[in-house]
Amino acid sequence: MPPAALPNQPGQPQDEEAAAAGRRRSELTMLAFAVGVVAFAYINVGLSMKGQSPGTFVAYIILFAVISGAAHLAVRRWAPYADPLFVPLAMLLNGLGLVFIYRLNQAGVKGNPGNYNLAGKTIPIPTLAADSTTMQFVFTVIGIGLFVAFLVFIKEPRVLQRYTYLFGLIGVVLFGLPAVLPDSLSEVPGTTAKVQIAIPGLGSVQPEEFAKIFLAVSFAGYLVMKRDVLSLAGKRVLGVDLPRGRDMGPILVMWVISMLVLVFESDIGTSAVFMGLFVGMIYIATGRNSWLLIGFGMFVVGAVIAGALISHIAARFSTWLHPFSVANLVDGAQPSYQLVQGLYGMASGGVLGRGLGNGQPFWTPLVQNDLVFTGFGEELGLTGVMALLLIYGLIVQRGLRTALMIKDPFSKLLAGGLSFMLALQVFVIVGGVTRLIPLAGIPTPWLSQGGSNLIASWVMIGILVRLSDMARRPAPKPIQDEGLTQVVSLK
Amino acid sequence: MNRALKRISIAVLVMFLALMINANYLQAVEAPSLANGLYNGRTLAEQAQVQRGSIVTSDGVTIAESKQLSDGSYQREYPDGAAFAPVTGFEGVNGDGGMEQAEDSVLSGSGSQLAFRNFIDMVTNKPQKGATVQLTINAKAQEAAYNGLAGQLSGTGRVGGVVALDPSTGAILAMASYPSYNPNQLATADGTEFNKLDKQLIDESPSPLTDNATQTTLPPGSTFKLITSAAYFTQNPADTPNTEVYSPDVLTLPQSTDVLHNDADEACGSAGANGDVPIIDAFAMSCDTTFANIGLDLGGTTLNSMAEKFGFNYTPSITGVTTTSSNYTVSSSPPLTAYTAIGQWDDTASPLQEAMDAAAIANNGVLMKPYLVQQVTASDLSVVQSTQPAEMSQPVSSSVANDVKQMMIAVVQQPDGTGYAFNQGVEGVEIAGKTGTAQTIVGSGVDDAAFVAFAPATHPTIAVGVMLQGAGYGAAAAAPIAVNVIKAYLASAGQG
Repeated sequence: MPPAALPNQPGQPQDEEAAAAGRRRSELTMLAFAVGVVAFAYINVGLSMKGQSPGTFVAYIILFAVISGAAHLAVRRWAPYADPLFVPLAMLLNGLGLVFIYRLNQAGVKGNPGNYNLAGKTIPIPTLAADSTTMQFVFTVIGIGLFVAFLVFIKEPRVLQRYTYLFGLIGVVLFGLPAVLPDSLSEVPGTTAKVQIAIPGLGSVQPEEFAKIFLAVSFAGYLVMKRDVLSLAGKRVLGVDLPRGRDMGPILVMWVISMLVLVFESDIGTSAVFMGLFVGMIYIATGRNSWLLIGFGMFVVGAVIAGALISHIAARFSTWLHPFSVANLVDGAQPSYQLVQGLYGMASGGVLGRGLGNGQPFWTPLVQNDLVFTGFGEELGLTGVMALLLIYGLIVQRGLRTALMIKDPFSKLLAGGLSFMLALQVFVIVGGVTRLIPLAGIPTPWLSQGGSNLIASWVMIGILVRLSDMARRPAPKPIQDEGLTQVVSLK
Repeated sequence: MNRALKRISIAVLVMFLALMINANYLQAVEAPSLANGLYNGRTLAEQAQVQRGSIVTSDGVTIAESKQLSDGSYQREYPDGAAFAPVTGFEGVNGDGGMEQAEDSVLSGSGSQLAFRNFIDMVTNKPQKGATVQLTINAKAQEAAYNGLAGQLSGTGRVGGVVALDPSTGAILAMASYPSYNPNQLATADGTEFNKLDKQLIDESPSPLTDNATQTTLPPGSTFKLITSAAYFTQNPADTPNTEVYSPDVLTLPQSTDVLHNDADEACGSAGANGDVPIIDAFAMSCDTTFANIGLDLGGTTLNSMAEKFGFNYTPSITGVTTTSSNYTVSSSPPLTAYTAIGQWDDTASPLQEAMDAAAIANNGVLMKPYLVQQVTASDLSVVQSTQPAEMSQPVSSSVANDVKQMMIAVVQQPDGTGYAFNQGVEGVEIAGKTGTAQTIVGSGVDDAAFVAFAPATHPTIAVGVMLQGAGYGAAAAAPIAVNVIKAYLASAGQG
């Protein structure tokens, strides 16, 4: 048998380029598939809600295809070796989110008749603001814009390590800002959560979405510096390697911040993601089980104490355990009404779903935000829900795989941390709305209405694509003409 | 760091698996039960688009139907709501009890029996439609029962119930309760309004939501003498209704200084102070001493086993009807046993049980299982299911049943019988019955009235049990209702 051509072999540059081009080709094919699914979903909504297919959404499909193409060209030009799955998967999620906002925005035949006439009573059904779909497209364009800008300007992710403390400071400020602002600016209407900054006349920003990215970069830089002392120093107690007391500083600080978020912003979801991100990253950096135990224990103790002291946190546990009780569902403020309506929606979808535009997701309050996953469950069924979870799972898996391939510790930690953070976010919100864990409202990445999360998610994909490009980039080509030194691959 | 990353990967895998398993459980396993959850607007909205099947009586009167409103949705209506409420229940934001709940799957058209027809409808582009449930109820008998109860109890704050059965099949011909409610009000789609009304009805005392025909038990009083007599003839097969039995003015109870006497301390017919009378006369005049003495001779265990054969101490299971068991408790004390033999002390029976007692005697000793659903008809008029009569038990032999029947005829047809006011000359139909007046609180003068009957006596087609709380004499308060139900039914069935 003749020896197979070896890729990445010095002196065979055409093979490397061919391999990169091949990856981009498969990316383009998958991207075309994602655009096709989204286009089909648009047509589906149009047919079932209006009884006709074309309409304004033809423009949406074209615009979506153009945005997807731009993202692909940027990767082709500036990160040619990147994993081909990131952009198509994220684009598919983003597209389905756009379709669902469009779907909720329509009043049509069955799916949202505007008013529901039930036994002689007219029950008004909320629709989203008229410009919701357009705004979501604007946010998508901004997100893709930042994604491209990141690839253009950050060629070498290690430069971010220089700003470890600056990014940490920015992250903490962004995190804490809503807590110190007056309620009128920071409280999300209709809830007790103080997580946004309202800009009068323009809308609102949820700074924590960006804070998480800054903090992930900052944690990576800090932990790379301190990793030796955090992983080795300490003594063994009862079979567990405990770190030294003086090394507990950082985790204590993070714990205090997450508790402050919990108490002052009433946002147990973000608080959990934040703490989980730090604990996950310190574990990846040190490989030390004791950090997991300490971090997890601290968060649980903190949450339990906060639950005992703060009534609305206790109420979350009560609505989780007894959502159908009279006290939670019928009386007073009906704290479990939203969760229960989401569950009814998923149940109504069953295995195959009602079909886009045929369900009644409008019964669920704020279905376009935290509970968007139940809307998908209702209209796409268990089948669609499993597909969405697989897409998220694949993005996380590709991110973790990138982390495994990278040699540079800072980049490795950053890739691992961001991937784990995405997994945590999906777990917290999807687990929350399906009553696996107590419901803590955070956006569902790419799917929920709103710009902050969408833009931050695209920045995260930008970082992962850049890291993946670095990890898969072949070793530098030898300079054959000089003939003196030769780089030898030791594979 | 790679080892830790691999472990994190496994943790992430576990997290996603948990999400997936939970989603499967929620959408594939738990979904059907969630569909009927409280405040499930989706299910309601869907139901409002489907014409729910009607509930009709055996004589073709519609007692629950869905009417289409101008907006295309359907509203449930109950034409003679209060009279039929214990039978129909109601269906709205929150259905409760009755046929609406028991037969919900066929009424709404979602039942598995209808799956094939629904599929055909879908293919031929016809709207899904619920199946019609036909009950065994006779509308005329039901209305007579409800109006009778209302006439006796309106404004008194006391409760009462009537059940009528077809003795040969067990079909429930009437099942009326007082006080009742208007199911049209509760059939609202407005959750807040429903809760308000529902709470009001629950808080009312007595609550109109309780079906007194099957869920309320009262002391049966002298109507229990049916059971005591049945036990007596079973124990003494050689005796006939003309056998003379000891019937004193005053019965001295053993192990006690207590004495038991007839209602107004009178002698039992021709017996004199300490004589004997034919048992049929004692039954017709309802002499307490006679049957208390028989009860003492038979003992509590014998009475108990006979009562249980008739259905006491057992909760009957009837589709669409919530029932309560009637009770007979064996007392270790002979004086109390004497009282239980005449339906006092802690004997209790529901009107349903009373009707079952009479039905078993009328049907030659065979008790048929009561049922309410006659048949279910799909929208294309094909019969989806129908009920076949089934035997529940045989409490007594046909000869014992015949002996008791003779005595029940005497109660109404014999001039000294407690129910003579309703004899054949007056009513035009030969009725057999037994009155009952139970002193619940001694000396209070407030007695519970009961009457069991069947007719026509020679070939019975209807058996009735009537119980009224605190209404006085059975013959005066309960019997007229039973007689009206019988006459309404026989007239409607063309037998009057």
